[in-house]
Amino acid sequence: MTRYVVRRLLLFVPTLWVIATLTFLLMRLAPGGPFNAEREIPPAARAALAQKYGLDRPLAAQYATFLVRAARLDFGPSYKFPTREVREIIVEGFRVSAELGGWALLVALLVGIPLGVIAALRQNTLADTAVMAAALAGVSIPNFVLGPLLVLAFSLGLFWLPPALWEGPQSRVLPVLTLAAAYVAYVARLTRAGMLEVLRQDFIRTARAKGLPERVVVLKHALRLGLLPVVSYLGPAAAAVIMGSLVVEQVFAVPGLGRYLVNGAFNRDYTLVMGVVLFYAAFLMALNLLVDLAYAWLDPRVELK
Amino acid sequence: MRRSLPWVALALAAVLSGCAAGGDETSPPPLRGPRYFGSVRPPHGDVLRFINGAEPETIDPALVSGEPEGRLARALFEGLATTDPRTLEPRPGQAARWETSADGLRWTFHLRPGLVWSDGPPLTARDFVWSWLRALSPATAARNAGLLHAIAGAEDFNRGVTSDPATVGLTAPDDTTLVVRLAHPVPYLLHLTAYPTLLPVPRHAVKRWGDAWTRPGHLVSNGAFVLARWRQNQSYELTRNPRYRDAARVRLERVVAYSVEDLNTAANLYKAGRVDWNTSGYVPSPFVPRLRADADFRSAPYQAVYFYSMNVKRPPFDDVRVRRALNLAVDREAIARDLLKGTRAPWGRLTPQGYPGYPAPPPLRHDPADARAWLARAGYPGGKGFPRISILFSTSEDHRRIAEAIQAMWTRTLGIPVALRNMEWGSTLQAMTALDYDVARRSWIGDYLDPGTFLEIMRSGDGNNRTGWSDPRYDRLLLAARGERDPARRLRLLGEAEALLLADGPVIPIYHYSTTELVKPYVRGLWPNALDTHPLRDVWIDHAWRPGRRNAGGPAADPEERP
Repeated sequence: MTRYVVRRLLLFVPTLWVIATLTFLLMRLAPGGPFNAEREIPPAARAALAQKYGLDRPLAAQYATFLVRAARLDFGPSYKFPTREVREIIVEGFRVSAELGGWALLVALLVGIPLGVIAALRQNTLADTAVMAAALAGVSIPNFVLGPLLVLAFSLGLFWLPPALWEGPQSRVLPVLTLAAAYVAYVARLTRAGMLEVLRQDFIRTARAKGLPERVVVLKHALRLGLLPVVSYLGPAAAAVIMGSLVVEQVFAVPGLGRYLVNGAFNRDYTLVMGVVLFYAAFLMALNLLVDLAYAWLDPRVELK
Repeated sequence: MRRSLPWVALALAAVLSGCAAGGDETSPPPLRGPRYFGSVRPPHGDVLRFINGAEPETIDPALVSGEPEGRLARALFEGLATTDPRTLEPRPGQAARWETSADGLRWTFHLRPGLVWSDGPPLTARDFVWSWLRALSPATAARNAGLLHAIAGAEDFNRGVTSDPATVGLTAPDDTTLVVRLAHPVPYLLHLTAYPTLLPVPRHAVKRWGDAWTRPGHLVSNGAFVLARWRQNQSYELTRNPRYRDAARVRLERVVAYSVEDLNTAANLYKAGRVDWNTSGYVPSPFVPRLRADADFRSAPYQAVYFYSMNVKRPPFDDVRVRRALNLAVDREAIARDLLKGTRAPWGRLTPQGYPGYPAPPPLRHDPADARAWLARAGYPGGKGFPRISILFSTSEDHRRIAEAIQAMWTRTLGIPVALRNMEWGSTLQAMTALDYDVARRSWIGDYLDPGTFLEIMRSGDGNNRTGWSDPRYDRLLLAARGERDPARRLRLLGEAEALLLADGPVIPIYHYSTTELVKPYVRGLWPNALDTHPLRDVWIDHAWRPGRRNAGGPAADPEERP
């Protein structure tokens, strides 16, 4: 087990190196540079900037410096925000993205799992159809439509909740709900499917035959196995919910990290893009590792090698 | 996905217009009195909350080049002169008075006695000398250092020709006197002193903290406000500076500038009463025709022009007859009327309106017959043999619609093949700078109230020219205007230069920008003006304002007013 984890962690290094190299090259291939502006920068200022950021040196030297500094988690100052370090921007932005994503994931699980269980237990009844129809709607409505609709109803119609910004608990409600909707639906569908499969198996019939109360059968025996699909989905879901909140961040003016990646690429903010891409890559790999470990823990048949 | 967002905005706009009368905080329909787009309940306390736009890149005045940054820099720092919020006339700021020599080349500024920085130390004329030299130093890499080039020796110092600060025409004979020697007369020098690049910065804080001097806790300022709090990608919070020279007249206790870029989000925040002011541009353009009936919407001419430029290094644009033909075939009126729904004025000049005393040349006109004649004279009768040309524009729904309209006008009127070339902003800029285009979408915003701020960009070799166009006659006129001491004659020379530019040059002006703002009725002291400059020290919140004031002494309830 420990060996497995260590090996996986060691594999991070070459993977990150490949990602770093590709991103570095792609950024440099994009036309233009960080100092292009509608208002032309005077040549002297351009030269001073190039020197400050080391852009006046050969590409290979820039690449080498970048790798050495990246290994120390130092990406240097942002081009767009010259008085701020990329590291600070990432830490500050990720704190918010993680909070938003964490709440959304929690809502998805707390709402999605019970819904899925109910639908499975009442298969082919009105309740099942209603839950699954709602789930279909949740998956289908994109969050850039759902967000504005929620704002319209709760902020501009009823004046209950702020329409945007990240100030105080009330401001969390609408972005979290918007982000969670699709995941609630997905979790409900996965739970239902998993439960349906488990409920048909022999050991469940045995448990029922032993006269165990239905509550124990469902919650203790069926749910543990029935949730396996949800658990394996949890890794990608956590990644998607934290890294994919770009649109929600935009609609609700949430100061997360997502917007920096997109705007950074548009602005040719080399350091910022490199930092955010590598951070996301490492985060994603760590999550995948955690999921594999959780899987082994939940299902004794899975063996980690 | 990005493409469908405007449709969401439109749908939202449609629903919003339907529900505007339903909210309990919106006021009655227009027939009975003013109607407001947003909630009109004043905030508690003397606080102004506003949409500042994209996240400020920096608030170091020397480095500031964008509007969100400029708004903060001007609220935190005060220059030698400030601007009157209504007329934009310069008025005394840190300097109480000034005089200029007969030849206009030597300016003497007299600072008010007893000026201090927000942390206590005195602010002297030497602080201005140091700050301006800092902005000029190549190591600072200030984008707008060119604004200081009129000072004798400044350009050489800025370009690194010399590193001796004594060669720059700036001296401080004593604590309250600043002497500025100019290389040529600059009638708008006072306007410049209010510009961010020329604002004083605290030497002691910059020395102590380096690049980090602009952070809360480090930042020391001399203007009406000090920096209290900063939240990344969310807000800058300023509070009143008790040490400001005129602190008693500043009525706002607190200012919150939100970094919100999304136009629909900005409009939602305003409508829900979370902000009191959406600065110009932070109103979704599909809303504008509807908003014009609302009392809290405001639009005024803005010193900026939307135009196309032609790359004269590429045939057939090297032929002035082709350039004329393309210009004459553009129907600006139709674009402004049909595409922009009257939210922008059609414009046939590079310089915008509103320069007192400027003899502006007649605007370019739309004349299809004349356009065809010029094209035939250039050797392409009926468009025969004309190469396929493309219009380059950065990604935006509005740019696309205008490009499509002009494509249709050229194809229909001149019979020439026109393609559209859309690229992301950074790539568009790169293509324009490298002269890798035929026709490109551009715009220009003036820095100060003078036609020179527009005409200078088309001078030969100017970094902003981006057309390859060079005409010695034009350069000579601009140079003559530069050395001219008589303001009226100077403006006449500039007018001649613009006439030449419009007749022979590489620009196709299309429309004149206007500001689009949302301002709550209880916000006072924010005047519309051509520079879209709003000194926050003059702003205050009118707590006595009531939406139902007109009902005072009248009927108890308005039948139109829903509960």
